[in-house]
Amino acid sequence: MIQSKQYYLDIFKVDVPLLETFVAEGLRSGGSYCDLYFENTSYGSLLLRDGAVTSGGSHIDYGVGVRVLSGEKTGYAYSESTLKEDILACARAAAGIADAPSEVNPYGTRNPSRGEPNPAADRYPVLQNWREVPMAGFLPFLQSLDADVHAKDTRIRKVIVNLAFSVSDILMYNSARELKYETRPMGSVSVSAVFEQNGAVENKSTSRSFRCGAEMLTPALAQEMAAEVVKGIDQRFEAKRPEGGRMSVVMGAGASGILLHEAMGHAFEADFNRKGTSIFSDKMGCRICPEGINILDDGTLQSNRGAINFDDEGIPGQKTYMVEDGILTSYLHDRISAAHYGVKPTGNGRRESFRYAPLPRMRATYMESGTAKADDLISSVKKGIFVDEFSNGQVQIGEGDFTFYVKSGYMIENGRLTMPVKDINIIGNGPEALADIRGVADDLAVDPGAWTCGKEQSVPVSCGIPTVLIGNLTVGGAQ
Amino acid sequence: MITNEEIALATHCLAFALENGASGVRITLSKSLMNLVGMLNGEVDKTAHALDKSLQLQLFVNGRFGTFSSNRLEKDELESFILQAIDTVKMLEEDKFRSLPDPSRLAKDAVTGQELGLWDATAESITSARRKELAISSSFWARKAEAEKGFTLIAEEGEYSDSIFDSVTMDSQGLFARHTETSFEIGYEATVQDSEGNHYSNYWWDAAPFLKDLQLESCAQKACLRAAQAISPVSIDSCRTNLIVDSECAGKLVTPLLNALGGFAVQQKNSFLADKLGKKLFPDSLSIIDLPRVPGETGCRLFDSEGVATRELPVIENGVVKTFFINTYIGHKMGVEPTIEDATRVKLMPFGGCSTQEELLQKMIDGILVTGFNGGNSNAATGNFSYGIEGFLIRGGRKVHPVREMLITGDFISLWNNLVATANDARPCLSKLIPTLAFKDVSFSA
Repeated sequence: MIQSKQYYLDIFKVDVPLLETFVAEGLRSGGSYCDLYFENTSYGSLLLRDGAVTSGGSHIDYGVGVRVLSGEKTGYAYSESTLKEDILACARAAAGIADAPSEVNPYGTRNPSRGEPNPAADRYPVLQNWREVPMAGFLPFLQSLDADVHAKDTRIRKVIVNLAFSVSDILMYNSARELKYETRPMGSVSVSAVFEQNGAVENKSTSRSFRCGAEMLTPALAQEMAAEVVKGIDQRFEAKRPEGGRMSVVMGAGASGILLHEAMGHAFEADFNRKGTSIFSDKMGCRICPEGINILDDGTLQSNRGAINFDDEGIPGQKTYMVEDGILTSYLHDRISAAHYGVKPTGNGRRESFRYAPLPRMRATYMESGTAKADDLISSVKKGIFVDEFSNGQVQIGEGDFTFYVKSGYMIENGRLTMPVKDINIIGNGPEALADIRGVADDLAVDPGAWTCGKEQSVPVSCGIPTVLIGNLTVGGAQ
Repeated sequence: MITNEEIALATHCLAFALENGASGVRITLSKSLMNLVGMLNGEVDKTAHALDKSLQLQLFVNGRFGTFSSNRLEKDELESFILQAIDTVKMLEEDKFRSLPDPSRLAKDAVTGQELGLWDATAESITSARRKELAISSSFWARKAEAEKGFTLIAEEGEYSDSIFDSVTMDSQGLFARHTETSFEIGYEATVQDSEGNHYSNYWWDAAPFLKDLQLESCAQKACLRAAQAISPVSIDSCRTNLIVDSECAGKLVTPLLNALGGFAVQQKNSFLADKLGKKLFPDSLSIIDLPRVPGETGCRLFDSEGVATRELPVIENGVVKTFFINTYIGHKMGVEPTIEDATRVKLMPFGGCSTQEELLQKMIDGILVTGFNGGNSNAATGNFSYGIEGFLIRGGRKVHPVREMLITGDFISLWNNLVATANDARPCLSKLIPTLAFKDVSFSA
C-alpha cells in the first residue's frame, strides 16, 4: 500500500531539505554512508478466550533510526521523537563510528540487483485498511471461528483465538538522496484448542498471516482454520514417541520449509559469511545439493508474510536464487555485505523496527518443485518418519547443526505410513542434509502460517518446500 | 531518569481516563537508556545508542478491559489516544472477572525505585570514549596466539553494553510503585577452525547490576576456549545414561515447570501440572523457591506488573507442588486466591554435597554433560519434551570427548524424578538460580 509522498512527510513532520540536513550531520565525522528510517506503526489485537472477546488493545510505535556506515562499521542511534534537534542528536551519536576514512562505499553497490526487480511493485495492496475498521468490526470473525472450532469436535475443552494486526508507515532517505516510502500491512490470526479424551489432554493450533488488509477475515478463512485445528487430533491422541536414532525423514510439503530456513538459509546470510563464521563461507560456486535442486529466497510473493516492495535499506524486493541446480550461487545480502563481496545487494537488508540497524535476513524461503511424486518418496522408505507439523527450529551457524521440533507425523515402515508420532526434535547438519536429499516431489507449498525469525531481531518470514526425502537425520525418541 | 514532569503527565493521564469513562486505570511509565559497543576481531565494529520511553494503559470500562500503549508522550496526543482507547474497550465483551487487585496486596515499599540496591550511579556518567575502552579491553583477539593450539580463532564478535531502566506503575486505587536498575553486559561469540577446516562456535557472557562486578576480561577468552573444546566431536550410539546439565543452561529444564504452574496455562487446562497443586510429584530433594526481594540480585523486584507486592514463595517444596502463579484476573476466574503473577527469581536449592561441577561429574562417574541446547521444545499439555544438545561424553568423572548431533527426549515429571544431585554453582547473572543438575537414566538419541 503506497500513499503520496506528502502523506509520509507530514506524518514524520519533515521535508526533503531537512532530511538532507540530517544525513549531512550523520556524515560530518567522515562516514561513507548514512540512512534514515522513519516508522509509524499502529498495532491492534483482540483475544477470544472462554467464548468471549474480553481482551484487546492498541499500541503506537513511532520514531526514526539513523545509521552511519564507515566502511563495514556501523553507528546506529534512534529517537522516538522526530523533532529536528532530536534527530540531529541521533545523527551525531551515530556519526561517532567514523573515526577513520572509509575504504568501502556501500552506496557504490546500490544498483538494483539480479533478477530485474520491479522497484514500482505494490505487493501488498489493501482493500480494507485495518486502521479504518472499528474493533467491534472484528468480533464477528473471532466469534464465528470459535463457534466453527467447537462445532468440529466434542472433545474440545478450550479455544483461544487471537487476532493481531499492524499498519506501518515507512519513510527512508539516504546519502544517495534516495527517498522511499510505503505503508506495510500485516494481519495474523491464530487459533489453539485443548482437547480432552479419557483423561488425556492434547493441544493443537494453527495460524495464518498475510501482508494485506482486514479483507482477509472471511468466513472461508474461519472454516479453513477450524478444519485445520481439529485435523489429525485422533492421531495425536494415539501418537507415541518413536524409537530414536538415525533414519530417513520425509518432509511433508509446506511447513517443512523450516528445514531450508534453519539448515541453510541462516548460513547463507552474508553477514555470517563476511565474518567467516558460516559453514558455507568458502562454498560459493560449489555443489552443495544434488543436481536439479533450486532453492531461493523470494520477496515478491503477493501478500505473503515475507513479501517486500523494497527492503529496509530501500533495495527493491526480488527473487534470490541461493542454490541453482545444486550449486551455491548467492548469499543473501544487505548493503554492507554486498559491498564486501563486490556484488549487488539482494534486497535482504531487513530490521524489526526503527530501533534496529538492518541485517541480511530471509523473506520467503523455499525449494522449487522437483519431478517425483510424494507417495513414491514415502513408499521408497523402509524405515523412517514422515513429518508435517512443526513449531520451531534453530541452527548453529559455525558447525551447521540445525534442529526443528516436530509436533506430529507418522512412522514409515516398509513404505507405508503407520504409527502416528509427536513431540520429537530432529537434528542434522546443514551441508550433510542438503547433500543427502534423495528426492524432491512436484508439490511445492509455501506455508501460510505466522513464522517469525529471531536472529537478533524479530522479522516476519515464510517458508515452503515440496515433499522431500532426506536419507538420514537424527530423530529424538525413546531408547 | 523519569522526571517529575513525566510522572505528572502519567498522573494526568490516569485522571483523564477516569474522567472520561474508565472505572479503573493502571498506568506504567517506562524509560530506558542503552549504549552498546560491538567488537569484531579486536576492532570496534558498531555502536548503538537507544533511548526508549512508553506509557502503557490498562483500562477497566463498563466491566470491560483493554491494554494500550504509546511512545508518543505529548499531552494532547495522549489524551486523544486515551479517548480512542476507552471507545475501543467499550466495544469488547463484558468480563466480570476483570478488576484491579485488592489494595491490601499492593506494594507500598517501592517508592524511590532504588530500594533493592540495583542502581549503579556510574552508569549515567560513562562516556563514549570510556565505553569503547571497555569494549576494546574485553577482546581476546590480540592475544589469541596464546590459545591457538591445534586450532585458529577465525572470528571473534562481541558486545559491551550498559543500560539504565526506570519504571513507575500507578493505579486509580493509589498505587505508586517504582523500580530502577542498571545493567552492564558483555557477551562474545567465537568461531574457531580446526586443521581440517571445520568450524566450531561458542559463546560466553556475563551481566551485573554494577560495572565493578562485570567479568569483562575473561569473557572473550572463555568463548574461544569453549569453541575450541568442541573440536573433533564424536558420534556415540543412542543410549540411556546419566544427564548432567551445566548451570549456564540448566534453566532451560526449569522454565517448562514454571510455565506449567502459570495460572493462565492451568485455567486453560493447557498444563501438565493443572491438577497437581499440593501433590507430591517429585523427590524429597527437589525444592524450588521464589526469592524476589534479595537486595542487589539481578532480576529481583518488589512488585509484579499489577503492582502486587512480591514475597518469598515455595514453588516446589520437598517434591510437593506448592504454588500456582495466579494474578487477580485468573484468581477470579478460577475462584481461588491470587498469589503473584509470575515467578521473579527462583532458586533451585542445591543438594547432594557437591560444590562444583567437577565434583558432581566425579560423583556421577559416567554420562553426558550438556553445555548447551540446540533447539527443541516441549508439549505444555503433556509435559513431553525433546531437545537437541551439545556437550561432552563423561567417563570416570572426566570429560573425554565433545559430542554432537544428539537429542534428549522424555517427559518432565519422569525427568525431575530422576534428579539425583546438584552442584552449588548457579550463575548470579541469570534470572533463575539453577546449579548444575544431574539426572539418571535419560534417553539420548544419536
